[in-house]
Amino acid sequence: MEEGFTPKIVGFLCNWCSYAGADLAGATKLEVPSELSVIRVMCSGRVDPVLVATALLHGADGVLVAGCHPGDCHYREGNYYARRRFALLKKTLETLGLDSERLMLAWISASEGQRFKEVTNEFAEHIRQMGPNPMRKKISL
Amino acid sequence: MAKKIGIYVCECGANIAEKVDIDQVITAVSPLKDVEVVERHKLLCSEGGKEFLKQSIEEHGLTHLVVAACSPKQHEVTFMSVCEQAGINPQLFQLANIREQCAWVTPDGEEATDKAIRQIRAAFSRVLYHKPLESKEVECNPDVLVIGGGIAGIRASQALAAPDRKVYLVEKAPSLGGKVRSFSKLFTNMESGLTLMEQELKSLQENENIEVLTESKVEQILGFLGNFEVKVRRKAEDKDLDFNVGAVVLATGFELFDPRGLPQYGYGKLDDIYTSLEFEEMNLPGGPTGGKILLKNGKPPESVAIIHCVGREEKDYCSKVCCLYSLKFDRMLKSQIPQIKVSHFYSDLCIPGKAYQKFYEETKELGIEFVRSAKTEVTSNGEGTTISYETEAGSKGKLAVDMVILIPAMESSSDARKFAEMLNLPQDEKGFFAEEHQLLSPVASAVEGIFVVGCAQGPQSISESIVQAEAATGKILSALVPGRKLELEVRTSEISESFCTGCKTCILVCPYGAITFDEAKTISVVNEVLCHGCGNCAAACPSGAVSLKHFTFGQIYQELKEVLR
Amino acid sequence: MNGESEMNNREKNDPVVVIGGGIAGIEASLLLANSGRKVYLVEKTSYIGGNVIKFEEVYPNMDCATCMIAPKQQELLANENIELLTLSQVESVSGSAGDFSVGIKKKARYVDLENCIGCGACYEPCTVEVDNEFEEGLSKRKAIYIPCAGALPNVPVIDTENCLHFKGQICQACQESCVFEAIDFSQQDEELQLKVGAIVIATGFKSFDLSETTQYGYGKLGDVYSAMEAERMCASNGPTEGQILLKNGKPPESVAIIHCVGREEKGYCSSVCCMASLKLSHFFKKKLPEVKITQFYSDLCIPGKANQKFYEEVQESGVDFIRATVTEVSSSGEKLALKYKTEDGQESTLAVDMVILNPALEPGADSSKLAEMLGIPRGKAGFFSEKEPDLTSVATAQDGIFIAGCAQGPKDIAETVAEAEATVGRILSLSK
Repeated sequence: MEEGFTPKIVGFLCNWCSYAGADLAGATKLEVPSELSVIRVMCSGRVDPVLVATALLHGADGVLVAGCHPGDCHYREGNYYARRRFALLKKTLETLGLDSERLMLAWISASEGQRFKEVTNEFAEHIRQMGPNPMRKKISL
Repeated sequence: MAKKIGIYVCECGANIAEKVDIDQVITAVSPLKDVEVVERHKLLCSEGGKEFLKQSIEEHGLTHLVVAACSPKQHEVTFMSVCEQAGINPQLFQLANIREQCAWVTPDGEEATDKAIRQIRAAFSRVLYHKPLESKEVECNPDVLVIGGGIAGIRASQALAAPDRKVYLVEKAPSLGGKVRSFSKLFTNMESGLTLMEQELKSLQENENIEVLTESKVEQILGFLGNFEVKVRRKAEDKDLDFNVGAVVLATGFELFDPRGLPQYGYGKLDDIYTSLEFEEMNLPGGPTGGKILLKNGKPPESVAIIHCVGREEKDYCSKVCCLYSLKFDRMLKSQIPQIKVSHFYSDLCIPGKAYQKFYEETKELGIEFVRSAKTEVTSNGEGTTISYETEAGSKGKLAVDMVILIPAMESSSDARKFAEMLNLPQDEKGFFAEEHQLLSPVASAVEGIFVVGCAQGPQSISESIVQAEAATGKILSALVPGRKLELEVRTSEISESFCTGCKTCILVCPYGAITFDEAKTISVVNEVLCHGCGNCAAACPSGAVSLKHFTFGQIYQELKEVLR
Repeated sequence: MNGESEMNNREKNDPVVVIGGGIAGIEASLLLANSGRKVYLVEKTSYIGGNVIKFEEVYPNMDCATCMIAPKQQELLANENIELLTLSQVESVSGSAGDFSVGIKKKARYVDLENCIGCGACYEPCTVEVDNEFEEGLSKRKAIYIPCAGALPNVPVIDTENCLHFKGQICQACQESCVFEAIDFSQQDEELQLKVGAIVIATGFKSFDLSETTQYGYGKLGDVYSAMEAERMCASNGPTEGQILLKNGKPPESVAIIHCVGREEKGYCSSVCCMASLKLSHFFKKKLPEVKITQFYSDLCIPGKANQKFYEEVQESGVDFIRATVTEVSSSGEKLALKYKTEDGQESTLAVDMVILNPALEPGADSSKLAEMLGIPRGKAGFFSEKEPDLTSVATAQDGIFIAGCAQGPKDIAETVAEAEATVGRILSLSK
């Protein structure tokens, strides 16, 4: 682990569940890593794998995609597609020599402020341990 | 036109101000290109705050608005409304969440301030790429098609019909009435189903706004909510009738599970074994025995066994009303043949609700036997039949009876499959139609504008079927108001004709069937009436042809770029 | 037959009063409002969502209840046609269909709904702590409070019975902590007269009072809980943040769930408890995979196309089902001794750490007062009576007054929503 390394973590949160869960974490004043930047989407199924790959290529040290628990998707099945795309993306990244450990998919409901805090803190710590994304130095876009 | 962006930072009292150094934020974002004004305010969502915003927007002639405050889930709508009042298209606005997801979750003030700046820059970069989307409306037809002329269909038709709303009631049989017409008695009031139906049909016929089409079948339904095109085949006239409606109510009822598939009950092989519907028919004044309960040999039975849950294991659900109507059978039997011995063979008594336990207790007092049996079989004994039963504890017993009434599971009508295909209605694993939401929207199907009520939706009582018919009515009357247009979701998907390769992947993933294929152009097209704006199609498209308005790749990329700077 | 007044009703677009802000009231209000009607939603407590928001998960698909209902709640709060009157109760009703005059008593919240932003800064300074009713007494709340995290509207209320200021003492701690000047001790109760065309009763249910029972040790033995208490224990925003714990702070190794408590007294089957027990078992097993669960029941009531599969899954997860009457729960060392009698008369005992009781569902408190005011008869069980019991459940003997949900009788969420929608069908329909 590099000294003085502040990771850049991007979180794609779905409007109906995980974003609401993140808001609840705020309303209950829980501590969430400041390295996390949240981008709101309507559904985790909106998260194009290319967006995730772009994030990594732009130097994101970690990317979190969070959606509703299976069965609870506001749009019925968007999160199932998110799950499949994510699994495929992880595999693809590995073949490209990128570290798929830098990706995380989590199901967080609107009432799980506590869980949001736990997931984000654990993920941030995990990324800190991994060190900076080597892509940061290799490619400039 | 030159862009003029205004950035307003809310203090939210002390909530944001005590953690985020707002002065530093203002210093950081003021130099951004095309930023016309950066201001702070104590509480932007208050009446005073909104007025301040409006005036400031007008004063500076702003074209885009960024507000840094609480969560968009709190006040996106509030500030969009301010935009509208101030003359900015409400879509040219972005709210940066620096409260719930910044000030409130970041203990260190410096980190909170950095994060706030990041979020605001992201909002700023994004908003420049917003498009001034306009809301749209479409005409809709308030008329309704009701498929199925049983109690649910009849009640729905009557509740829906009005001078400005025509109802087409289509029934495949020569006459209306469905199953209820065959019930000589209804639980719990033990009144005649036939009489009830006669009353219903009389008032139905008096209703000028309902066109009844008996001996007719729906051949085709195209279109979507507000605009369905229907084709009905009229058998008697041997021709088709075409008309348009705004909504469809499926009330195709139920059928009984066929006990012939279960040899242990002897149905179809041994004499005097009847299904519940056959027993009902026997009791009809106009029925095969003139309403008399008789064995095949013409004599009244002295003993009857009623076997519950026939086919329950195979279907894997409880049909809800059978225990209750079997109690009705007890009363019918005892009423005609007071000395008759009646024995029930059941596993669990299902009598939920405020009134039914009393009905059970009073029926039991007539001298009815209830035997809890885990395994029941019917065999011939020369003179009649023998019921062999086994309790849960494992002890076995036998009972000789003259007549057996089987209570089979209730299934969705055989037409269900046909309608499922015709309307693209997903069926659930039990053969009934999948609801829009099992709990929150039980009478709406997965296809917008199509409702499923009564036993077509699931096994239920007459009272519940009528409630569902009225529920679908409530939903339709609320959504399709004569003379009022349907307001559409603004942030829908759109497909670029030139980029679309016609792979149809988007069509496969759309949860709402909102994308259709244009055969002539071999491209996919989004139906904005049905699109809910989830963006699955955009993520799935391999050629980047699909765009979700207001959440385009480009817009999200702007946010991404900023936060990773 | 009041055809003409119904026609006028529809033409005039008369407002509607919906009594009760639970899922039935919310659904009816939204449908009516979206059709263009004005709705007054009268809710007794300070929050909307009724009983549904107390559940972490709901059967048969284990949907997250709060997530499921949140979009509806938010839609309701934002809908301009709906005037939400919390802390309000109906005091008088006169008139007839198409022309009711409804008197409402609106209690003061002492917190301004416009100015308060829900930041919660006022809770900490309050020194009063009392049992939180929403949490079934499993945790405390302050005198200025919202019932749980995420409750809507997100504005606290002052409990004047326990607030020091209102008891005559000098304390303005909450007011001093509010930078938005949202706390206003001078607020007064209000009386409103509403002119409406129709009334919907959606007052929900409450549980049979377990203190009326003696054999289960409820209220005496530490780890005997009501089903609602168990629900709050499961809740991620609840007193234990979703952890299943005994009073000694440790997770239970064995749990008994007893069905039909109060069934004999009340004389009916409450319809939802068997499924709710299955749901609790499922949740417990998820949190504590090794826990031993035994259900004591009389007849398993799991009607409907979706429920049996769930029962089978729960059975397969290792939950035992014993058809028996529980005769006594007593203390036995560190555990509880549960005595039961099966249908063949045999008596046995089971030692468990925790007992959960499923009480019968009763109509909401104040039902008798409301029924009298509205002139609606109630049945022996206390639920509002429908006009023609076997032909629909939502119309009452009074034209223009409708009932929906558990106010009519115990039922699940899907049936409740259907009834709420049916009342709207009746109100908006031209026919009688």
